[in-house]
Amino acid sequence: MGETSLSGTGAARSAPARPATSRLRRRPRWLKTAFPYLLVAPAVIYLMLITLYPGIYAIIQSFYAVKFGPWQPVGFANYVRLWGDYQFWGALWNTLVIGSIALTLQCVLALLLAFFAYRDPWVRGWRIVFLLPMLFMPSAVAFIFKLSFLDARVVSDLLIRVGLIDGNLAIQSSVWMSRGLLILADVWQWTPFLFIIFVAALQGQDEEVEEAARLDGASWPAIFWNISLPMMKPVIAVALILRGIDITTMFTNVFIITKGGPAFGTETISYFIYRTGFRFFDFGYASAASVIMLILTILIAQFVVKRAFVSARS
Amino acid sequence: MASMRKKSRGDNLVLRYAILGAWALVCLLPVLWFLSIGLRPRTEIITPQPIYWPTFSLDAWHMIWSDWPMARYLRNSVLAIIGSVLIDLVLAIPAAYSLSRYTYRGRDDIGFYILSTRMMAPAIVAIPIFFLFRNAGLLDTIWALMLIYAAINLSFVTWIIRSYMLDIPKELEDAARTDGASDLRILWEIIIPAILPGIITASVIAMIFAINEFLFTLLIASTSQAYTMSVALANFTGGSDGVIYNAIALVAFLAFVPVFIVVVAIQKHLSRGLTMGAVKG
Repeated sequence: MGETSLSGTGAARSAPARPATSRLRRRPRWLKTAFPYLLVAPAVIYLMLITLYPGIYAIIQSFYAVKFGPWQPVGFANYVRLWGDYQFWGALWNTLVIGSIALTLQCVLALLLAFFAYRDPWVRGWRIVFLLPMLFMPSAVAFIFKLSFLDARVVSDLLIRVGLIDGNLAIQSSVWMSRGLLILADVWQWTPFLFIIFVAALQGQDEEVEEAARLDGASWPAIFWNISLPMMKPVIAVALILRGIDITTMFTNVFIITKGGPAFGTETISYFIYRTGFRFFDFGYASAASVIMLILTILIAQFVVKRAFVSARS
Repeated sequence: MASMRKKSRGDNLVLRYAILGAWALVCLLPVLWFLSIGLRPRTEIITPQPIYWPTFSLDAWHMIWSDWPMARYLRNSVLAIIGSVLIDLVLAIPAAYSLSRYTYRGRDDIGFYILSTRMMAPAIVAIPIFFLFRNAGLLDTIWALMLIYAAINLSFVTWIIRSYMLDIPKELEDAARTDGASDLRILWEIIIPAILPGIITASVIAMIFAINEFLFTLLIASTSQAYTMSVALANFTGGSDGVIYNAIALVAFLAFVPVFIVVVAIQKHLSRGLTMGAVKG
C-alpha cells in the first residue's frame, strides 16, 4: 500500500513508476510533467506582478529624478543622498527601536499569559476575552489611542487622579513618550496574536512529558522553562517573525497618532517612504529607499524566515 | 479531567487569576471606553476634564448615515473583500494542491517564494503599484482594491490550505485514482470537501487582513468613490471641527461585531491559520 501511494502521488516526476491505472487516461508525458507547474503557475504569476514587477520598477525609478515632469536620469545620486540623509537613518533606527521593544514586550506578555492560561479550566473564555483587541480595525484603534492619550488626555487625567503625576503628560513634545505610545498601541492590539499561537502550542504538546517531570517533583515554572519552552521554540520563531514583519512595516499608527513627530522621532521606514513619495512627490528618492528595504527584506527572508519555517514543520 | 489535575498541583492560583484577570481588564476596559465614545454626543468627547459617565446619545449613528455615504463605504468594503477572497481561493487551491501533492524540481523554492511575498512591506511596493494602477486606469476603483487585497493575502491563504492538504491521507486519493478519476476531479470531489475547515479559516483570516488594510487603500482610493471602512475612518474629520471620534468609534464597533462572530466560530483553527499552518492547534 505504501509503495503504490508513493508512486501514485509522485507520478509527475518519476515516469517509469507510473501506476498502471493512469494509462487509461493517456495523457502525454510532457503534460504529466508540466501539470503541477501549471497548477501553481497562476498564483506565482499573480504574486510576481505584485512583487517582482514593482521591485524592478523601483530599481529603475531609483536611478531617476522623478518629480512632476519627465524622468531625469541621475545615476546613483538618490543613493548617495540616502547615505547622507539623517532622516533616512533616523527612520531605520526608529523602526528598529520601536519594533524591537514592542516585539519583546508582547512576546514576554504573551508567554506569561499563555503559561497561566493554558491549563486553566476556563482557557476558552480567556482566549475569547484576550482576542478582542485584535478584532478591531487598526485605524480605529489608533484613533482611540490618539484620543485617549493626546486629544482628550484621559490617561493623563487618570494618572493624576491616582496621584502618579502632577500635571498633564506632554506626550507630543517628547520623542520617547511618543514612541512609547506607538509601542503601547501595538502591544495592546497584537499581544493576542502571539497569545493565541502560544496557547495552542502549549496545548498541543505531549502531556506525558510534563506529567513525568511533575512526578519527578519539578515545579511548574521549572517545567515550563526547561521543557515546554524549548519545545515551543520553532513555534515562537514563526510567530515572532510574522509579528516582526508587521511591526517593522508599521504605518497606520504612525500615520494616525504621531505623523512621525516630534522631530521625526517616531518616523518609521514605511512612513519615510510614504512621506517622500506621496507628500513630497519625490518618487525617485522614495524608490531608492524602497530598494534598500527590499534588499534587507530579501536577505532576512532567505536567512531567517526560511530556516524558521522549515524547522517549525519538522 | 483537566480541572481535576489542576487541583492536585497546588500551584499559585491567586497569582494566576490576578494576572489573567488584570490582562482581561486591560483588554476589556478600552473596549468599553470605545463603546462609550461611540454612544456619546460630540460635545462630550474633547473636554477640559474627561467625562467618564457621558449622556447617552445616538448622534454618531445619525451622523454616519446622513453626513457620509456610509452605505457606499460598506458596499465597497464588502465587495472588495469578498472579491479578493474569491480570487485568492481560485489561485491558492490549485497552487496548494500542487505544493502538497506532487514532487517536482523547484517545488520547495516555489513554495518559499510564495511565502516570502508576505515579508514585503507594503510601502516598498506602494509606489510602483500606484503607477501600475494609474496607467491601467484603475485608481479609485474597488477593482484595484480587490486585486491588491488578493495579492496581500495570497501567500497566507496558499500556505494555510497547503498545510491542511498535507494532513489528508494519501490512501483517500489512491482509491479514487484506481477508479480512474483524474487529478482535477480528485481535487474537486475529495480534497476540497475534506479540507473545508482549512478553506474557511484561510478565508476568515484573509477577510480580517483585508478589512484592516490601510496603506494601499489610502493610496489607491483617493475619493469616497472607493473608500473602504478602514480608510473612510481616517477621513471622518469635519474640517474645523477636527476628528469626529464618536463616529469613528461607532463604525469600528459595527465592523467589529461580524468579525467577532466569525472568529469565535473558527476559534479552534485560529492559531493554525495565524501561523500559516506552522502550528497545529
